[in-house]
Amino acid sequence: MISLWVLLAGAALSQGAPQMQVQADPSTVGVGEMVHLQLSATSADAMPSDPQPGTTSGFAVRGQSSAPAQTHIIMNGSRMDRYTLTTTWALEAQRTGTFHVGPASIVLGGTRYSAQPVTITVVAAGQAPRRHGGGLSPPTLQNPFSLSPFDLWRGMVPGFDEDRSSPEAVSTDPKLALDAPRASYYFLHSTVDKTSAVVGEQVVFSVYEYIDLGAGRVEIDEEDLHDASVADFVKHPLQREDQEAPLVGYASVGGRTWAVKLVRRWALFPLHVGDLTIGPMHVRMRRPASVAGAERAAETLVVHVKEPPLAGRPPGYVLGDAGRFSLAAQVSPGEVDQGGAVGVHVELSGTGNMPSAIQTPAREGIEWLAPEVHDELGPTDHDTFGGKRTFDFVVRLRRPGTVDLGELALPFWDPEQRKYEIARAKLGAVRVAPSAAAPAQDEAQNRLPDLPPLRDVLEGGRSLRAHPDDSLVFWFAGIGGCPLAFGVAVAARAGGRRARSALRSRRVSPARELKQRLAAAMAACEGGDARAADAAIARALEAATVAHAGVSIRGAVAGELVERLERAGVAPDAASGLAELLGECDKARFAPDAVDMLAARDRWTRAQGTIRRLERSG
Amino acid sequence: MPLCVVAVIVGALAILSAAAPADAADDTSALFSSGTAALRDGRAADAIGSFEALADRGVVDAALSYDRGLAYAMRVRIGAESSGDLGRAAQGFEEARDLTHDVRLADDASRALTLVRSEVARRRVRLGEPVEVDPARSLSRTLAGLLAEDTWSVIAVAASVAMALGLFVRWMAGAPRARIGGGVASGIAGPVLVVAVAMTLAARHDRMHLREAVVVAANARPSDQRGIVAPGATPLPEGARVEVVDARGTWSRVRFGSIDAWIASSALRPLARVD
Repeated sequence: MISLWVLLAGAALSQGAPQMQVQADPSTVGVGEMVHLQLSATSADAMPSDPQPGTTSGFAVRGQSSAPAQTHIIMNGSRMDRYTLTTTWALEAQRTGTFHVGPASIVLGGTRYSAQPVTITVVAAGQAPRRHGGGLSPPTLQNPFSLSPFDLWRGMVPGFDEDRSSPEAVSTDPKLALDAPRASYYFLHSTVDKTSAVVGEQVVFSVYEYIDLGAGRVEIDEEDLHDASVADFVKHPLQREDQEAPLVGYASVGGRTWAVKLVRRWALFPLHVGDLTIGPMHVRMRRPASVAGAERAAETLVVHVKEPPLAGRPPGYVLGDAGRFSLAAQVSPGEVDQGGAVGVHVELSGTGNMPSAIQTPAREGIEWLAPEVHDELGPTDHDTFGGKRTFDFVVRLRRPGTVDLGELALPFWDPEQRKYEIARAKLGAVRVAPSAAAPAQDEAQNRLPDLPPLRDVLEGGRSLRAHPDDSLVFWFAGIGGCPLAFGVAVAARAGGRRARSALRSRRVSPARELKQRLAAAMAACEGGDARAADAAIARALEAATVAHAGVSIRGAVAGELVERLERAGVAPDAASGLAELLGECDKARFAPDAVDMLAARDRWTRAQGTIRRLERSG
Repeated sequence: MPLCVVAVIVGALAILSAAAPADAADDTSALFSSGTAALRDGRAADAIGSFEALADRGVVDAALSYDRGLAYAMRVRIGAESSGDLGRAAQGFEEARDLTHDVRLADDASRALTLVRSEVARRRVRLGEPVEVDPARSLSRTLAGLLAEDTWSVIAVAASVAMALGLFVRWMAGAPRARIGGGVASGIAGPVLVVAVAMTLAARHDRMHLREAVVVAANARPSDQRGIVAPGATPLPEGARVEVVDARGTWSRVRFGSIDAWIASSALRPLARVD
């Protein structure tokens, strides 16, 4: 059987082209998982070289390894040489789809030979079917001419390889079940016990790892592990992180059984209001080989944080003091000399966000020095953080007598009761004996002397009031109104003048003026005043020269008058007749003797004729 | 019957809604009284707790701000000072001075503010830092602040009327003296109008946009926008009144005299405004 294979192979190889075999394992993977593309090229002539995977769209090439092998066989006196190059590429699936990878190729004798492309299907993460069987063998072990039939047929016969022992039957916890696995073989799942909290209220954050029981050996890269980022929180672990993660139970997810372990459990205390993000924890896979290098990340979570209610908030409450606390205090000694000191031991115990400081009841003559703080804090049970914080104060007493140290009070928000509480501890009184050697008041005591007295009555809230300059009426009417009015008045007056002038000029047109003067002359001639009649006749003649000849003869003497008229196109006889008539009128007007009215009327008649002649010629 | 039920429900709601503000007022008075009692007894921390609780509830009152300032100042005086107490005292007094319409309260607040700033200056001298605690305001703001905004408005209107009347008289009057008088009046009223309008606009701009705060940290170092402290920069004086120009994230841009820098917003306490 082997000989036949070899002979056949030899017959094939002796033709020059190499024998090439390419395969991809697995043929269906999830996004982020690895596929191994293996090309095996065998030639009888020389060692194939320069292997190339071809097109790898949809994948990222993460690694390449090549294993050359030479075999020389002498059979029945004939020598056969076999040169085999086996190259494996590790491809990481980037996106879903069906991809044709390759064709992979090698170079032999200066010629590149290609194999057939392979088809690989990429599905969503965690959806790929589980492989059974040996898959690709490491290149160093691949030897098609091995005399061991088991090696030859390795991976070719389903079920021929060693069986993986199937997982024992276990009872699964429905509380650990999920809708679907987040990835194959191994994934992380994070949760919080609440998605809404107040500032300082404990939020329990847990990260579980789900390990597929049917996956065989699963390993993560411990060097490439990144914890969740919780920059907006104060974090306290609730379990040890340097030990093996405890097994929480088993879960059935996606038809498979998973072992669930708790890898992280933290008590988180929000630092401020807002939607605070808990970043994902992520690791990288090391085994199985098909997912080596793939990342596994938990979910990103958001917690909505607000302040506890204002209503009922006690004085002195510090935002963030949330939990359940109690206070206890001891003062010793009970008697001291003036200027001496007593020790106050305060114990703050409880669960939650333990306050880091306590407000001391400072009073005049009592000086509280900075305390020594000691903590005994840690997980109090599976999901609560708390313990005890002690404050050791030294209190200096400067005034003699029985000094009441007062009371320590710590207001806090109880998230379980959803109300404010106040933890109190009375400190009692200390007898301070007067001392002649009491230290004089130091400079610190003279700080801020003579402060003015306090006010014990509220003044009353001031309400928003309107200002006049918020209104447009103020600006337009108040500021701009008067100057605007002045401007309008000036403009109106100038406009009026211009309008009147325009109106007047329209009214006193030459034709209208002539008409008026003819009427006036007519009226004057019907009267009894000859001088007035002559004046009116002269004005009528002047208006007629303007209206019909377009020339003004006002003020012109006789010779000039005729010349003006002739230049204006008036016939010489008409011009001289008009000049003569005007002369007669002027003579009559200014004659010392009484003027004959009849003569005036005659002159009027002649003037009318002259005017008509002017009209005809104009 | 349903009508009676409706009437009862409406009446109950009316009583409850009237009672709610009354309850709030009682709570405010009770807290204020407990604060003043603590202040009188010398229990500064208790007084501060009560007054800050009122501030958390949004109560804005000149007397409350003043007493709160006194409580912080008292805590400093008795030697139980927390970091920033002087600044918070100054903030209370500044706020009281801005809010009050009582001249005596304003005087007391000014006096207390002087004491607080003197103490801050004394400490800065010890540390070798500059002692300027209250730089002068700009000239424009000083002028605008000479009179109330409404007063500038009235002056502007009066100047406008006077200027227009003067122009009318100069224009219309026949007598030379009247014309001269009108010209003088308009010549004086014109510049007064310009100044008054400018001061009104400046005062209005301040009212609408100016935001001020007081530094309540002893070591508020000027930084750039990225929060990097300017090398060799002196901290802004605790208790200094600054103008807040911009705020981004946890940083605020402020102006203090000639200094224009970013400091942590937690180092500032804003001054309440009512107008």
